[in-house]
Amino acid sequence: MPTRVQLLLLGALIRKELTILVRDAHALASLFLMPIIFIVIMSLALKDIYNPPLFGRAYAVDVQDKGPLAAELMKRWVEMHGEPRALPADPTEALRHGDLRYVIRIEEGFSQVVSAPGTPSGVQVHLIADPALEISLFRATEAELSALVGEIRAEALQDRFTGMSTKGGQAIRLLVKTERLTLSLHPTAVQQNVPAWLIFGMFFIVNAIANLLVQENDNGTLSRLLTLGVSPGIQLLSKGLPYLLVNGLQAALMLAVGVWLMPLLGGDGLSLSHIHWGSLLLLLGSLSIAAVGMALALASLIRTHAQASTLGPIINVLMAALGGVMVPRSIMPSAMQTLAGYSPMNWGLEGLMAVLLRHSSPSEIMQPVLSLAGFGAVMLVAAVILFKRRTRQ
Amino acid sequence: MLQITDLGYQYPHSNKPALDGISLSARRGEVLGLLGPNGAGKTTLISHLAGLRAIQRGSILVDGVPLAEMRAEAPTRIAVAPQEYAFYPTLSVRENLQCFGAASRLGSKLRDERIAQSLAFAQLERFADTRAERLSGGLKRRLNLAIALLPSPALVLFDEPTVGVDPQSRAFILEAVKTLAREGTAVIYTTHYMEEIEAIADHALIMDHGKVLRDGTLTELLAEGATRLRLIVGNMEATAACSLLASLGTPRMEGEYIVVALNPGVSPAAAISAVENAGACIEQLDYGHYNLEHLFMALTQRSLRDD
Repeated sequence: MPTRVQLLLLGALIRKELTILVRDAHALASLFLMPIIFIVIMSLALKDIYNPPLFGRAYAVDVQDKGPLAAELMKRWVEMHGEPRALPADPTEALRHGDLRYVIRIEEGFSQVVSAPGTPSGVQVHLIADPALEISLFRATEAELSALVGEIRAEALQDRFTGMSTKGGQAIRLLVKTERLTLSLHPTAVQQNVPAWLIFGMFFIVNAIANLLVQENDNGTLSRLLTLGVSPGIQLLSKGLPYLLVNGLQAALMLAVGVWLMPLLGGDGLSLSHIHWGSLLLLLGSLSIAAVGMALALASLIRTHAQASTLGPIINVLMAALGGVMVPRSIMPSAMQTLAGYSPMNWGLEGLMAVLLRHSSPSEIMQPVLSLAGFGAVMLVAAVILFKRRTRQ
Repeated sequence: MLQITDLGYQYPHSNKPALDGISLSARRGEVLGLLGPNGAGKTTLISHLAGLRAIQRGSILVDGVPLAEMRAEAPTRIAVAPQEYAFYPTLSVRENLQCFGAASRLGSKLRDERIAQSLAFAQLERFADTRAERLSGGLKRRLNLAIALLPSPALVLFDEPTVGVDPQSRAFILEAVKTLAREGTAVIYTTHYMEEIEAIADHALIMDHGKVLRDGTLTELLAEGATRLRLIVGNMEATAACSLLASLGTPRMEGEYIVVALNPGVSPAAAISAVENAGACIEQLDYGHYNLEHLFMALTQRSLRDD
């Protein structure tokens, strides 16, 4: 058990660390401002990736068929996708230049072929896309067009053989209802980016701690504290504990940005309703232990300011790239997804997504929590060994 | 108060010892001046006393108690005023003192008293709420001193405390060291400046290559029987005269003069006879006792400021 004197000493050293941090504008900017800027920029930039708009994609139609079914097909498409652009003289060239995202060509005889029973005699509708169109959008457009053609064919055949017409169209929407099981939430750019950059920011404390330790080593304060009998353990604790608080403040600030600031800037809002707050605190706590542990271990290893200002960010960025902070793990190739599973940032991100989107309970996020806490504990042990070795040199 | 016996230390990956059988003692109320060029082993010795290095050979006793035991019981009995500005630049003078006061395990009431006393001793009261980074070089040295004195140490180690300070601050620090010694503190003072040792030290110790070359009171060292002979010879090349005198002392050229630090026991008359018996004539001659630099030169063959 620590004695009262040790606790007073620890308190004084923590107060010192916090005072130094509060007066360091650069450290504050990198710990708080940088992740906020990332959240805002990335959420706004990637907004459409998670929720592609139905309207606004430039397209053109080349309708060779003058029949009523071709007109009906185009009417329904325009309802969902807005008015088409004028068909250019060379549509293929326009697609290659990116002036159009896709062109729908309806062959002459479409209405006749679609309403005839039996196997269609040939291709009647072409979808030709910009080579740069995202594959997910291409597949979605393709599926939508196929469904619409199928529906029109079904209506035409029904009308022809039963005389019963489905007025108003889009009967398929009455038959099929889609729902994503995320308690009425669905992933948005904000819901990906707030946890992602929050985790990135939390791990960024490595720079602040490493720079502080290098400065203490260079100016002799580290030796002075050791001469006064302040043990390496107390010194490491006094550096780690304030940054648990810093991580807590970062989390509160980033979540507030997602909930309140992003909607004001035209982005989606982060929803915290119905989440399990115990799960959130548990996950953030284990994340902070992992971040502080890693920061202390790296800081004990780093010897110069140059190393602190390059090695720390490089490791952070690599972990972030690997861990799904910059690119969601779900869209990585399977080999990269396997690799991402080794990144503590990914453990934290998967855990936070589970808390924010699936409203997971503490027992459901035990795996990432224990992985993060275990990683943090290993890093802390490494930090103690490295720091003791450093102070003996 | 402090007794060091046969202290030896060798850094890993080094093929020669940084300290090689150092023995010395320091007493309360006295200033022990430690002289040596860079690489002599001064800083390694200081870091042993500060508890930053484990003893490989020999012993260090503080009032008869092994250093490690003493440090476990009362680490603040020995304080260091290091060469660097060992404080936090973005904290104020008072905040630095509070931090290191807490690190010295001073209770809050005693800490406040000691902070006030240290501020007064270092004449920093006016700057108590100024951030350390905004102090001049001299004031920073004083803050270094004030922090070292916070826990009322029995032994203070000064490691080149006047490097880069203005003459007023230097005079202030030297006076402060003398005051500390007068009040009963044992002081070990390392420096490159011989005149500082001559001004404040009761004892001096000259070391090089990890060894003690001379140890004694200033009076003993300066009147060690060694003399300095300065002469111009005729009828003989200066280099030949130097070779001739090398058997009697350590000659070197200073302009047109040959300056010889005579070996102990060699009289000026013997040197003069040797020159004259070799057929040379002495055109000009003066001699006198060493100052510390001359003694150092005679002992180490190099200047105090050499690497």
